[in-house]
Amino acid sequence: MVENRDEFPVDTSAFAERVAGHLRRPERLDPSFDDRLMRRVEIEAPSLYARNRPNTARWWKTERVVRLSPLGALALAAGISMFVALSTLAVGSRDWRKAGTPDVAAAAASTAIRSDTVNLVRFVFVDSNARRVELVGDFNEWAKGTTELKPSAAPGVWTVSVPLSPGRHEYAFIINGSRWVADPLAAKSSDDFGTESSVIRVGASAKSTT
Amino acid sequence: MSEQSDAQLIAEILGGDVESFRVLVYRHRDTCTRFAVRMLGSHADADDVLQSAFMRAYRGLSKCRDRDRFGGWLYRIVVNECRTFASRQRQRDLRFVNDGELLDRAEAKKDEPSAEDMSEQIDFALSKLPREQREAFLLKHVEEMSYEDMSAATGVSVPALKMRVKRASDTLRRLLEGVVYG
Repeated sequence: MVENRDEFPVDTSAFAERVAGHLRRPERLDPSFDDRLMRRVEIEAPSLYARNRPNTARWWKTERVVRLSPLGALALAAGISMFVALSTLAVGSRDWRKAGTPDVAAAAASTAIRSDTVNLVRFVFVDSNARRVELVGDFNEWAKGTTELKPSAAPGVWTVSVPLSPGRHEYAFIINGSRWVADPLAAKSSDDFGTESSVIRVGASAKSTT
Repeated sequence: MSEQSDAQLIAEILGGDVESFRVLVYRHRDTCTRFAVRMLGSHADADDVLQSAFMRAYRGLSKCRDRDRFGGWLYRIVVNECRTFASRQRQRDLRFVNDGELLDRAEAKKDEPSAEDMSEQIDFALSKLPREQREAFLLKHVEEMSYEDMSAATGVSVPALKMRVKRASDTLRRLLEGVVYG
């Protein structure tokens, strides 16, 4: 017979609850706390995070009047034509590379040719009980809702391909919108606060993750 | 205040919106304050610790990976900051110096416990607990965290936390005999 013994049972006694009731009374800091903190934050913010990024995204919404001389207008038109032509070339080049690199191994070959190549990495996650699988990592700012895996033909197998720059990347999967799971077959990494994630190195020695 | 989730606020902060951090602070400040005041026994010390903790959180926000659990992540920072502060405080030996006198006061009050000084006596009894027991008792019974969340916040195993809570309760029961019944 197995004895179900808890050496240190949870103390849910009326005594603990009465003590805790007193200790739950609210405490307030000096009213200047928030302002003092935010002054320090304001000082560090520009060097930490992209300052005013929301505003820069809106520059094109602002109505502006630009006055050009006939010669200036001609130069601008020529510049725009050149920009469009170069963009077309760049997009064509990227599409060609994408089509030719379905996995990391193939992508690794292209990195030898151009150091700024973006590799298409295929992430695979297997969980027959999952209803939704997302990928988060340093490449998408660890933001939920940005990279969702799609169910493949095989039951319980979820995949997504993500363009990654060469180098070390950290990632994790989020199952059914809430459960955080590190890749069981990849090298592990954890942040300062114990959240575990996985590591992939994209480059010459890169390999597909499962 | 804002209806946005913590995860949404964090995304905005990382995008350069400083004011979203003010909302995040407002949302979590009071629970952190209560814990820090109980741990350190002083509002001034709690203020110092929480300034430091929130700055550390701001600087490390891009490392908060599971953003839906920001509260637990922040608790871990606050717990660590309280530990660091308490260890420095112990070295300086500034607080609770005259234990004999305070214990006599507590003993005297046992004879005439009243509602208004009961909280004071409980605070004092709490201050007599070893730091790790006080931390475990507060997280379990005051902040009402699960043992799993406590383990994530403290880096201590669940069985060890249960032991600490049990020992804290036993010590409090002894110190508060005649003051708190149950």
